[in-house]
Amino acid sequence: MTAWIELLPLMLLLSSLIPGVLIFTLREDQVRLRVGLNIGAVLLKLLLVAVMLYGVSSGYEYRFTLSFLPGGDLVLQADALSLQFITLSSVLWLATTFYAIGYLEDSPLRSRFFGYFSLCVCATVGIALAGNLVTFLLFYEMLTLATFPLVVHRGTPKALAAGRLYLGYTLAGGALLLVGIALLHAQGGSTTDFTPGGYLANDAGHSGTLICAFALLLVGLGVKASIVPLHGWLPRAMVAPAPVSALLHAVAVVKAGAFGIIRVVYDVFGVELIAELQLHVPLLVLATATILYGSIKALQQRELKKRLAYSTVSQVSYILLGVALLGPIAAVGALAHLVHQGLMKVTLFYCAGNLAETLGIHSIRELDGVGRRMPLTMIAFSIAALGMIGVPPVAGFISKWYLGLGALEVGAGWVLLVLVLSGLLNATYFLPLLYRAWFRPAPPTWPDERPLGNGRPGWGETHWMLLAPTVFTAGLALLAGLFAGASFSPLSWAQLIVNREFGL
Amino acid sequence: MLAALGSMTIPLATALLLLLLRIRSGYWVILSSIASLICGGLALQTAMQDGTVHVALGDWSAPLGIRFEINMLSSLLLSYTALIHLLVAIYATRSRHSETRHSDYWPLSSLLHASLAALWLSRDLFNWYVTLELLGLGAVAMIALAGRHAYPAALRYLLLSLAGSLCYLLGVALLYGRYGALDIGLLGSMTVDDATTRIALLLITLGLMTKGALWPLHMWLPDAHSRAPTAVSALLSALVVKGPLFILWLVWSRIAPADFAISIGPLFAIAGILALIGGGWSALRTAWLKRLVAYSTVAQLGYALLALGLLLHWRSVTLSVALWLFVLAHGLAKVSLFLAAGEIQGTLGTKRVWALKGASQTMPVATFAFALAGCSLVGLPPSGGFVAKWVLLQPLLTEPGNWPWAVGVLLGTLASAGYVFRVLALTFNRAETNQPGHRPDLFAQWLAMLPALLVWAMALLSEPLIFWLTVVSDG
Repeated sequence: MTAWIELLPLMLLLSSLIPGVLIFTLREDQVRLRVGLNIGAVLLKLLLVAVMLYGVSSGYEYRFTLSFLPGGDLVLQADALSLQFITLSSVLWLATTFYAIGYLEDSPLRSRFFGYFSLCVCATVGIALAGNLVTFLLFYEMLTLATFPLVVHRGTPKALAAGRLYLGYTLAGGALLLVGIALLHAQGGSTTDFTPGGYLANDAGHSGTLICAFALLLVGLGVKASIVPLHGWLPRAMVAPAPVSALLHAVAVVKAGAFGIIRVVYDVFGVELIAELQLHVPLLVLATATILYGSIKALQQRELKKRLAYSTVSQVSYILLGVALLGPIAAVGALAHLVHQGLMKVTLFYCAGNLAETLGIHSIRELDGVGRRMPLTMIAFSIAALGMIGVPPVAGFISKWYLGLGALEVGAGWVLLVLVLSGLLNATYFLPLLYRAWFRPAPPTWPDERPLGNGRPGWGETHWMLLAPTVFTAGLALLAGLFAGASFSPLSWAQLIVNREFGL
Repeated sequence: MLAALGSMTIPLATALLLLLLRIRSGYWVILSSIASLICGGLALQTAMQDGTVHVALGDWSAPLGIRFEINMLSSLLLSYTALIHLLVAIYATRSRHSETRHSDYWPLSSLLHASLAALWLSRDLFNWYVTLELLGLGAVAMIALAGRHAYPAALRYLLLSLAGSLCYLLGVALLYGRYGALDIGLLGSMTVDDATTRIALLLITLGLMTKGALWPLHMWLPDAHSRAPTAVSALLSALVVKGPLFILWLVWSRIAPADFAISIGPLFAIAGILALIGGGWSALRTAWLKRLVAYSTVAQLGYALLALGLLLHWRSVTLSVALWLFVLAHGLAKVSLFLAAGEIQGTLGTKRVWALKGASQTMPVATFAFALAGCSLVGLPPSGGFVAKWVLLQPLLTEPGNWPWAVGVLLGTLASAGYVFRVLALTFNRAETNQPGHRPDLFAQWLAMLPALLVWAMALLSEPLIFWLTVVSDG
């Protein structure tokens, strides 16, 4: 019985790896089998996640090890923090799988697309489950390799250029991360497994070495988390198909970077060591700069997806801000935002995809009056956008509230100013979109209308497989805010994590 | 003991047999490689139980006789050689694009295999000279199999190889004149740090570096390896250049006076880093696919050279583990790269890198093989290349004073990432797909994939591998 439980993390990983490999072998016309594999895998994964959520909430930690390098085994371990990320990725994978099936209907190379799509999720789950830095690195690089074919999926020169840029950034980041991890390993020490409170806390080495290692890790992870000035690849990667952008921005790539930084701060160095070495100061500065810079750049964009991309740059750094404040309440805000931002951002990208596929809308000017043509999509968009701004009761408000409280708790009042300023900027770049969509008159014809639904506003406004995931995630974003106090909300789970991490 | 000798004599006997018998050569070679591989495996097992065994050929002991040493590393290298030969032989019999099916390839490749096996087993400077000559001449003949357009490259290789041999022989003669011994065990206990020894060692090094295409004496390699038939390129890159490296390692770590080795070490290491950067840069710039792969050999040998230099400089055991891990990982990955490149350029009908547009669609398996093997060269986890780089990085990072070397490794990584992903990004170009002239051969593509899968499997075996190699380096 115990043996079976030990294998749960591995099964979670294999539940997307095996279908992924199988999908590669399918012919293009085996649609039913492919869809069946996809949906079957994601449902199986959700089931496994549910079992593990129950186990972890009652205090069990799942652990699976395989010998690999000397002193660096492959460790898969499911603690509260990993499950926060895994649950998010599994739920969004479900939604995005549906969305992608609808989005890519009748387009070529779907087996390749869904194969890499599954590998990408497998890598994300691996990142979440990684029990030490070596394992983390393994899946981090796998994520780079699995997302590249998705980014260049269209195969146009523009997509290839973006893909090359993406690879350049992420491989260089990965190489630095490798050196950072090897550097920490070379220092020796009793353990290398992630431990609440930091495994370096007990046998801390030379402080110069530690600072160097932290800098290397931060740059390596910051590339994916798109910290300014390492964010250059993200807006360009917008050429990818909409479901890929959605996944990249909400869970897979940027979150992998942010999650890595969370692990490094809490479980590798530990809050006390970070504070002692003053390492949180550069992180704070970078996070603040990124939040403001991303918002300002978003304001300058005329293309919808680009604006959303820069908004991601800005929003992901809220997570880092919360982590860098080093207090428990801010940490709750950061961890809750990991989920909240994912839900809201995925909704926004689905909406952008719906608009582009159904009506051919790409630039912001073309949004005029679209609220009456596609009301459900735009309601979802509005909910998510308001959440991003931080309007209660959408989820984004909750995370900002806790970030603010957390800042006050550690006596960093200036952070409130950053939050207010960034909220204002968010409003400046999101509200005009809502105004155009709902209050401007519609143009006589849309740029490129395609008959995806029945053409009437409502459930037939576009393909149902595009609309359903959009409404689903928007609903989740709303529920996560409304029922933040409930025992299984992202917020409560974040509190559970923080209680365990900080030993409260 | 018998198993190890068998692993060497079986291919030799096959080579002689094939000179007389010219039917079904491919199958004979495949059978003999399998037998040799099994013998290598048995030898490895014996070495694990009994440790190092010395064999005096014909019961003549050193200094008069020739000594063979069978230990974990020799047995591992014997198995590795047989495995690579087997993989390449299957490809050469099966693929449409092998260019070697009905030629003198078969006796030559078996001869190459046998002489390399003898090289792994010998511990005698003159015997090494003999094996090196056999290796070099066999390699030149095999390059010339490609036809008239390969003659200049083969000729240049021949001349440089002979010059290298002469240098080596001169060094060996100097040592023999000075100490009256050729066995490296004996020499190791006798050498003193004087001018004759130093000059002899430098001459030997010069010769070996020329034959092993170690930077900066690599100029013959890109032409020779890219002009050769595909199967030959794979054998040359994976096996032949590793022979001189093996001798170089033993000469410097067993014979050379300690002080001299310590002072010469950094030079090797710097040459290694320059090889990584220079080779990587050339691979990034070249317009020809197989040339790119050949330049990548120059670059990857830089890792080995770096490990060699630093292990001499610091007298560190871990680094020789890294050295051999690099050799094994590079060999497997390179076979995969050459076979995939050969298959792709044969099917698409052009030798340019540019021709790979859209190959991820038209030849997905070969492209995937190229990607997997390439990722191992870059050192992405969990591949053999990653394990080797990890083991190399550990001692570099323990002391802040050693960090500059780690920067060299980092640059090498970025350079290899550059040339590997330059190719891979092209294969995703769907806008201007280059359609193949005829239907791609799926089986041959899977043959190219197999070594790439093996190099990734190496990561899972890394713990026993590192253990075995550590045992050897201690001894």
